[in-house]
Amino acid sequence: MTNTEALRLDEVRKVYGDADHTDNTDNRVTALAGISLSLPAGTFTAVMGPSGSGKSTLLQCAAGLDRPTAGRVFVGGHEMTGSETELTRFRREHIGFVFQQFNLLPSLTVLQNVTLPLRLAGKRVEEGRAARILEQVGLGERLSHRPQELSGGQQQRVAIARALVTSPAVVFADEPTGALDTRSARAVLGLLRQAVRVHGRTLVMVTHDPVAASYADSVLFLADGRLVGRMADPTAEAVAERLTRLGDELVQKGA
Amino acid sequence: MFSLALSSLRHRTAAFAAAFFALFLGAALVMTFGSLVDTALGEGVDPASEETLVIMGGVVGGWSLLLVVFAVTSTATLGVRQRAKEIALLKSVGALPGQLTRMILAEVLVLALAGAALAVPLGMAGGSLVLGLLQDGGQIAPGIEHAFGAVAVGQGFGITLLSAVGASLITARRAVRMRAAESLMDATTPPARLNGRRTAFGLLFFAGAAAQAVLTVTLGKGAGFEAQQYAGTADILFALGLACFAPVIVRGIPLPGFGTMGALTRETLRARTASLAAALVPVVLFIGAGVGTLYMQDLDGEASAGLMAEEGQQAVETLNYVVTGMIALFLCIMLINTLVASTTARSREFAQYRLAGATTGQVQTMVALETLAVTATGVLFGTLASLVTIVPFSYARTGSWTPDLDPSVYLTTIAFTAAVTFTAALLTTRRSLAVPPVTAVMA
Repeated sequence: MTNTEALRLDEVRKVYGDADHTDNTDNRVTALAGISLSLPAGTFTAVMGPSGSGKSTLLQCAAGLDRPTAGRVFVGGHEMTGSETELTRFRREHIGFVFQQFNLLPSLTVLQNVTLPLRLAGKRVEEGRAARILEQVGLGERLSHRPQELSGGQQQRVAIARALVTSPAVVFADEPTGALDTRSARAVLGLLRQAVRVHGRTLVMVTHDPVAASYADSVLFLADGRLVGRMADPTAEAVAERLTRLGDELVQKGA
Repeated sequence: MFSLALSSLRHRTAAFAAAFFALFLGAALVMTFGSLVDTALGEGVDPASEETLVIMGGVVGGWSLLLVVFAVTSTATLGVRQRAKEIALLKSVGALPGQLTRMILAEVLVLALAGAALAVPLGMAGGSLVLGLLQDGGQIAPGIEHAFGAVAVGQGFGITLLSAVGASLITARRAVRMRAAESLMDATTPPARLNGRRTAFGLLFFAGAAAQAVLTVTLGKGAGFEAQQYAGTADILFALGLACFAPVIVRGIPLPGFGTMGALTRETLRARTASLAAALVPVVLFIGAGVGTLYMQDLDGEASAGLMAEEGQQAVETLNYVVTGMIALFLCIMLINTLVASTTARSREFAQYRLAGATTGQVQTMVALETLAVTATGVLFGTLASLVTIVPFSYARTGSWTPDLDPSVYLTTIAFTAAVTFTAALLTTRRSLAVPPVTAVMA
């Protein structure tokens, strides 16, 4: 596998709220307290942590959906900066997304949803290629259906096809199985792993489910906005145990 | 349920402000013309003045009544429909259909009562303004005092309450019937369909418009100003008929060219018939009633030129334009209301486009293209509706089927309509786009 860097974060901080100077109260909440990491291309990384640990903020800052208060983010070697429009242009070329709530356009067909990022970017649309990707996720027969005619698992597979169609440097998945039943969840996780193994994509997935995390090559643990651990070749049991311990430590620290 | 309704009103001020505004202005318009009938019924009114007041109050009051019923109905419908998700949530925590219906009714009643009550001073002022203009024009004896009584109050409250309650009952029944799970899963609006009731109402409106057109050229011929009482309703009825068939019309909305964004907009247009129909209807009404009424006043002025003293002539013209202006203002506010509401409802969709890679500029382009398609279609059908008034009235007043009209009135109305639709749609879109897309998709 290649060892080029797909994603790098340098001391990324995210602070919500403002310090109130009038009465010297501090309403600021630190969501990310300086995160640095580097993920090689072709890897599948899960990000885990208790609620409020900053998982979603990390994903949004890394994916250019939110701006860090400080620090830098590089995707495929390019730094993500600039206006909202520049960021959008960058995102649609270099980043794919899979969300818990799918976020497919209800007014477009399955095939139109998948080719949407290409069309918005003004690229030539090879419908054959889009159809092939849809076939790979098991929806070759559903090209002209609308999302609301599909099950949750099928909708999420459309979303995966859409995330892959631009051959992005990194695909970010935010609780991709959060709204799915166990069987559909397994199918979706299998597809995500296949995208990494077979097609060499780089995947970052935020999840709270140890079983979902076990599909990844490695797991990053987050607590209080800091990276507190890393586990390679995770199993669901080991991840669950680590999470429990992390929770206990947090409770002790708070006590 | 009543206290729940009140807290829901307090919580959703923006959404209810639109409904309240429609009810308030509608009640004021109805009261303005109702008070003319009150004045006619007063003591010491000579028969000629009485007749003019009754015609004015009845005829123009009749048009505004139609428009108000329609406006209130569509606003109330829009309000309930947009709350499909909230209703589903209430159902999932155990609200019974009957309780939900009572809650929706209580909300609407509070809004309608408050709107009508606050409209009283405005209706009084409007009524005495119109009466003053009538007296300036010499159509009414100078000594008559403006009265605001049973007809104004009864019509004002009655029409607002009845149409608001009726409309929300019909919509609530639909929303309440849906199962909690399915309405929670998918709160998107279903495609607009032409059902039997719509078709029947539509045909009824067309028949009404045809009848008014026939009356204009028969009874109205040579009857002077009074021909307006037939012709004035024809365009409104025809536009309302078109409104009933809007689900069919929007299926064929054309939008040629414009590259990728044009193609994307076309795909979206086909799937969003319900909200497109909602946006198209006020455009058709505004153009139809606006252009029709304006040219009717033009033709009336032309026909009666030289028959009256110049001063009186001027006053009659002013009166006509004030009346047209009141109705146009009401329609214009309805138009803005509908566009703002239907665009705001798309915040989540806009955010999903952005997450799929659309820049804010591309979203604005799509909205602009859609507005273009809807406005152009609305202008086309609105013009058709206005002709149902103009052509018969021209024959009745001037003896010619093909009147020689000043195109600037028409072009100005279209330019104004386009300015309103584009401004309302694009400013609302900009407000939606100010929210980061990840936040907006959660809402």
